[in-house]
Amino acid sequence: MKKITILLLFLFPIMLFSQTKLPNVTIKDVENNSVNVAKDFTEPDKIYVFSFWATWCVPCINELEAINEVYADWKKELNLEVIAVSVDDSRTQKRVKPLLNGKGWEYKMLLDTNQDFKRALAIANIPYTIVVKNQKIVHIQNGYNQGAERELFTFLKSLK
Amino acid sequence: MFSIEAQDKKWGTVFGGFESNAQWYLNDKGRGIAHPEQPVRSNNYLFLNYNYKKWTTGFQIESYEQNALLNFNPKFNGTNFGTYFVNYKSDKIDFTAGHFYEQFGSGLALRTWEDRALGINNALRGVRFIYKPTDDIVVKTIFAQQRTGFDVSRGKIFGVDFDYNLNSLFKFEKSDLSFGLLYVGRKEGIELENPIFSELTSVFGSRFNYSYQSFYFNGEVNFKSKDGVLNVQNRLSNQFVKNGNAIALNMGYSKKGLGLDVSLRRLENFSFFSERVPTNLPDGNTSLNYNDKILNFTPALTKQHHSNLSNIYVYQAQNRVDFVDQSIMKAGETGGQIDFLYKFDKESALGGKYGTTVAVNLASWYNLPGRYSFVPADYDVDFFGVGNKFFSDYNVEIKKKINKQWFTALYLINQYYNRRFIEGGEEINSNIVAAEVIYSFGKSQSLRFEAEHLWADADRYNWAGGTVEYSFNDKLSVYVWDIYNYGNKNELNQTHYYNVGGAYRKGSSRIAFNYGRQRGGLVCVGGVCRFVPESTGFTLNLSTSF
Repeated sequence: MKKITILLLFLFPIMLFSQTKLPNVTIKDVENNSVNVAKDFTEPDKIYVFSFWATWCVPCINELEAINEVYADWKKELNLEVIAVSVDDSRTQKRVKPLLNGKGWEYKMLLDTNQDFKRALAIANIPYTIVVKNQKIVHIQNGYNQGAERELFTFLKSLK
Repeated sequence: MFSIEAQDKKWGTVFGGFESNAQWYLNDKGRGIAHPEQPVRSNNYLFLNYNYKKWTTGFQIESYEQNALLNFNPKFNGTNFGTYFVNYKSDKIDFTAGHFYEQFGSGLALRTWEDRALGINNALRGVRFIYKPTDDIVVKTIFAQQRTGFDVSRGKIFGVDFDYNLNSLFKFEKSDLSFGLLYVGRKEGIELENPIFSELTSVFGSRFNYSYQSFYFNGEVNFKSKDGVLNVQNRLSNQFVKNGNAIALNMGYSKKGLGLDVSLRRLENFSFFSERVPTNLPDGNTSLNYNDKILNFTPALTKQHHSNLSNIYVYQAQNRVDFVDQSIMKAGETGGQIDFLYKFDKESALGGKYGTTVAVNLASWYNLPGRYSFVPADYDVDFFGVGNKFFSDYNVEIKKKINKQWFTALYLINQYYNRRFIEGGEEINSNIVAAEVIYSFGKSQSLRFEAEHLWADADRYNWAGGTVEYSFNDKLSVYVWDIYNYGNKNELNQTHYYNVGGAYRKGSSRIAFNYGRQRGGLVCVGGVCRFVPESTGFTLNLSTSF
């Protein structure tokens, strides 16, 4: 127990600062194109929302469904793009495309098949959503409950 | 990330994460359970990285105090460096020395990953060189040993993977075609006199991926060279030496509002370890029981259900040769899975105001058909056809949003589990019905109810379950759930597995608390399972990233 306390004390000053830049990780999108996470989402002042999900994660699917309902409205008000990052491994990765289309989602979809992107952000649990503007991470929210997308939109509007 | 900036010159960034999963096990007189000798246990992980321009270095310290959680690999004890690495990455080159996680193709031949809930971290420790001469070609080469506990395995692993995207070569516009080749070798000394098989076991594989507008088709074939097969006592001999193979095919059609996916897979003697013979561990188990030293990834291709009762009978993929007795002999598995998703449009007859989504999933898995012999141990299996049925799961999921406040979901599941062949026990037919209702109100408050029932004709027979979860806002939620084995033929085992707890999440941090009874059995994450014993106690989970 002593060892853990020492570890936590050492950790505390570092924890005061949260991660600000996207990691230099290249993964594929659902059309099999390579995408570099740090270099391909750099339009100035555009808001990028990365939502980490998996086909087996029900709250993740609920979150993306809820955002899908209001996505068109959000895009009218803000210059934003939602990118869904699937952390499905090869067991369930085949289900991503049919699910994406079966539900009629309009998101750009990335496949983080060996969880390189998830690991680089040290994500422990999904759903996990990060908001990036001008290549800086400005907001992180882990978990989802019905209605939380409204709070997210309030925050996104404040970034205008 | 902590950025030190001094006079416009950046000194690099520090980033990482911390996770802690702790349990305090208690005595449970109602179930006759006594807590283990060290009742407070925790698995802790500290992941730290430093990045400067094209260089990154990092490590992960793991601390298992007083001991790891129950039924984790006993090799995880004390505090030590779990992984460490140095990496250089440019546009064309990516070089790593130290521990790394890698996957060739779909992982059928090689995959190393970390899953803390399962106690799996089979990272490779050595060197990896990734070269991208053009945008279409990726070549990976590795030479390493595999992590086991805080040590490495004896086997030396060599690997090469070549991936080529042919679109620009053929000037495809509407379609997409890529192919890949791989080689993975494991070299380990053999403790037999005059072995008739080589110290170097090789896996050769090829794969392709094709899509045209709404259709897609991909496949992978792997061959494993002749290698000794473990007998009932987990020993090697010159009398039981076999090669192995794996084939996986996947095809589908997907357009807006409709998705269809079909997966077929056949595995024959396709386990691949970094050490041939499992090690015996002080708790009486072997490294096999803890998914230790596995090089490849063959998850069960079945649907991951989320309700409690639908996770009682779960299937583990049978990728290896396993001879138990005269009537139970396995050489692998064959079968498939179909997924069909459809969205009934808004305003349509079945759609209602917001639309309704239906998902149908069908999965069936069988032993390989052919001739088996127990003494002398041997098999001769056919490529086509099926043998004894291992498992099937046919289910429907219907989700409907009634209005801005009410969301409903219904799950109907039919399962067959040949537990006798897989773990030992009976054959079980079960049916499950689960219904879920979410009421969303206020700013972001919500209330979720779930009720479910399982009918089974064997083993523990019938169960009933219910869950209530309340979210105060987007940060705090609490829950209580119970599953009751009322149908158990043994009155003493008609147990209530109640649980109460909550979670608070803010930014990248989360703290969760649970008190209750854990049902003993298989806990599966991503198609890979571990066995958890019956236990009662408090659980505390912490996680954050920075």
